[in-house]
Amino acid sequence: MPNPVVTCRDVSRVYEGDGVPVHALRGVDFELEAGEWVSVAGPSGSGKSTLLHVIGGLDQPTEGTVTVDNVEVTALSEAQLSDLRLHKIGFVFQAYNLIPVLSALENVEFIMQLQGVAGGERRQRAIDALDALGLADLADRRPGEMSGGQQQRVAIARAIVTNPVLLLADEPSANLDTATTEELLDVLRRLNRERGVTILTATHDPMVMSYTTRQVNLRDGHVVAP
Amino acid sequence: MPVKLLLQLSWRNLWRHRRRNTILLVAIAIAVSGVLLLNSMLRGMQVNMQETVIDNLTGHVKVLQPGYLDDPSIAHGFEVARDWDLEIDPDAVVGWTSRIRVPAVIMSERETRGVQLIGVDPARESISFLDDIVIDGEALGSPEDRRVLVGAALAEQLQTKVGRRLVLITQGADGRNREAGYRIAGVYRAEVAGLEKAFVFTGAETLKNMLDTLVVTEVSVRLVDDRFEPGILATMVDAFTGLDVLSWRDLEPQAAMIAEFMDTAVFIYFLVIMSALVFGLVNTLVTAVMERVRELGMLRALGMRPRSVVAQVVVESSLVMAVGVAGGVLIAAGVFALVADGIDLTAFDESLQSFGVRPQFTPVMQAGDVILVVVLSLVLGLLASFYPARRAVKLRPLDALRR
Repeated sequence: MPNPVVTCRDVSRVYEGDGVPVHALRGVDFELEAGEWVSVAGPSGSGKSTLLHVIGGLDQPTEGTVTVDNVEVTALSEAQLSDLRLHKIGFVFQAYNLIPVLSALENVEFIMQLQGVAGGERRQRAIDALDALGLADLADRRPGEMSGGQQQRVAIARAIVTNPVLLLADEPSANLDTATTEELLDVLRRLNRERGVTILTATHDPMVMSYTTRQVNLRDGHVVAP
Repeated sequence: MPVKLLLQLSWRNLWRHRRRNTILLVAIAIAVSGVLLLNSMLRGMQVNMQETVIDNLTGHVKVLQPGYLDDPSIAHGFEVARDWDLEIDPDAVVGWTSRIRVPAVIMSERETRGVQLIGVDPARESISFLDDIVIDGEALGSPEDRRVLVGAALAEQLQTKVGRRLVLITQGADGRNREAGYRIAGVYRAEVAGLEKAFVFTGAETLKNMLDTLVVTEVSVRLVDDRFEPGILATMVDAFTGLDVLSWRDLEPQAAMIAEFMDTAVFIYFLVIMSALVFGLVNTLVTAVMERVRELGMLRALGMRPRSVVAQVVVESSLVMAVGVAGGVLIAAGVFALVADGIDLTAFDESLQSFGVRPQFTPVMQAGDVILVVVLSLVLGLLASFYPARRAVKLRPLDALRR
C-alpha cells in the first residue's frame, strides 16, 4: 500500500499570546491519501488554518511530526521548506495573493520560473492551466483588473500548474459569492477526479464540505467525530 | 531565482508607486548632480590654483642653486651652456626657459619700490603668465632688449607710464650695487594683480650685462600635465648634478596642500551629501518594503527563498538608485555644459586674489570624479537596501501573510 501524501503524528501547536498559551492544535493525528479531497472543518479558532500551515511548512508544530510525500517537514530548514513548498505543494489562499504587477499568465508562470522551467514549456503549461480553468481570455489582465472569482481561479491555476503532490486551499470560498464558489468547487472537483490532484481544504462552508470526499472535524485543536 | 524574473518584478514594482518613486528619483538625481557640480567647482578651483601657481614663473619643475630660496641673489646662480637643450619627450613638455631673478629697488621720479627684477628670453616665455598678459605699449623683443616691462599696479604706485625711464638698483655678482636706467617698453596687466606689483621684466642678456655675470638663477620647465612630472624630475636631476631640482609642490607647498585638500574635500562633500540622502533612501525603502510585507510573505509562502526575497528588494532599490544616479549625471552634464567655458567672477576679484585664484573661473569635470560618485552612490544604495531587505525576510511568511 502506498504511503499517505500527508501524515501528522501527535501534532500540537501552542502560541504564546501575551503570556497566556493558546493551544491551536492538541495532539492531532491525521493522514491524507493520494487522490483524496479532504475538508478540515470546524468553527473559527478550531485550528483548521493552523493545521494547513503546519502541513504546508509555513508554521512549525510545537510537538509532533508532519510528513509530506515522505519528507519530514518538521526537520527542514527555512530554505528546505521553501523548496518543499515550491516543488511539492500548491497553495490557494483566502485572499488570492496574486502578484499585483504580473498578468494572470505571468502569475501562473511565476512558480515555474522559480523552478527553472524553460521559457517555451513554461508559457505553454501556463496557457494550458489558464485554459483548463476557463481563463484563456484573461491571460493578459493584472489581478486588479479581475473579479474575486477570476483571481481565485488564477490562484488555482498557479497552484496546480507545477503538478504538486498536494494542493492546500485555506478558506478558498471565503471572499466569493455562492455562484462563484460553486464554479470554483466544480473546478477543484474536476482537478481531483480527472487529474487525481490531492486536495486539503480548510473551510467552514457547508457547500465546500459537500464537494469533498472526506471530512475531518476539528474543535479546540482536537480531531473530533463528525 | 532567475535574474530576468528578478529584474522584471523589480522594474514593474518601480512603477507601482509612481509618485513616491518619482520623488525619490528626483531627490537622488538632485543629490548626485549637486555632488558632481560641486566636485567640478572644487576641481576647477584646484586646477585654477595649480595653473596660477605654475604660470607664476614657477613651472612644473624648476632648477635652482642650493641656497637660492634662502638668499635669492645672483651669488646663487649657475651656468647653463648656450647650446644646452632639454632632451625630453616633446609630447610631455610645453617648453622650458632659463631666467635671472634678483631682488631690486625700482625708482621713478616720484616713488621707490622693492621688486623682483627678472631677465627673460621673451620667445621662451610662452610657458608662463607672460604669454597671456595684456600690454599697454610694447612687449620685450629679445633677450638683448634694454627696456623693461612693468605691471600696471606697480606703474600706478610709481606714478609712471609707458616711455618713461626708471632706475633699477640691484647687487652684482661681485657683491657691489649696480644701477641702471631703463625705459618702460610696456605696462602689463596680469590676471592676478599681485604679480603686477612684484615682477619687473627685462631682457636676460641685458640683465646679465648689468650684473656682469654669465649665470642664470633658474631653469623652469612647463609640462603638458602632472603625469609627466616624476619622469622629468628624474631626467633633470641627472642633467643638473649638484643643483636643486624641485617640483612646484616643493616651491609652493601651501598651494600644493590646498590642492591635496581638494581631493579629500571632494570625497568628504560626497559622503556628507550622500549620507543624508541614504537616510532618506533607507526610510523610504523601509516604508516601501513594509507596505509590501504581505506580498513578500506570499512570495516566500509560494517557495521563494529568503535570499531571493532579499535579492529582489536589493535589486529594486539598486534600480531606483541607478535610475536616479543616471538622471543626476545627465543633469550635471547639462548644467556643466552651460558653464564649461568659464564663469566670470570679476565681481569677487579682490577676494579671489587673496587665494591666488583667477577671476575667470573654469569648472573642471573629471571622468574619475564622475566614476567615483556613480560607483559610490550605487554602493551606498546597495548597502542602504540591505536593511529593509533583511527586515522583509526576518518575518516568517505566515506572520507576513497575516498582516
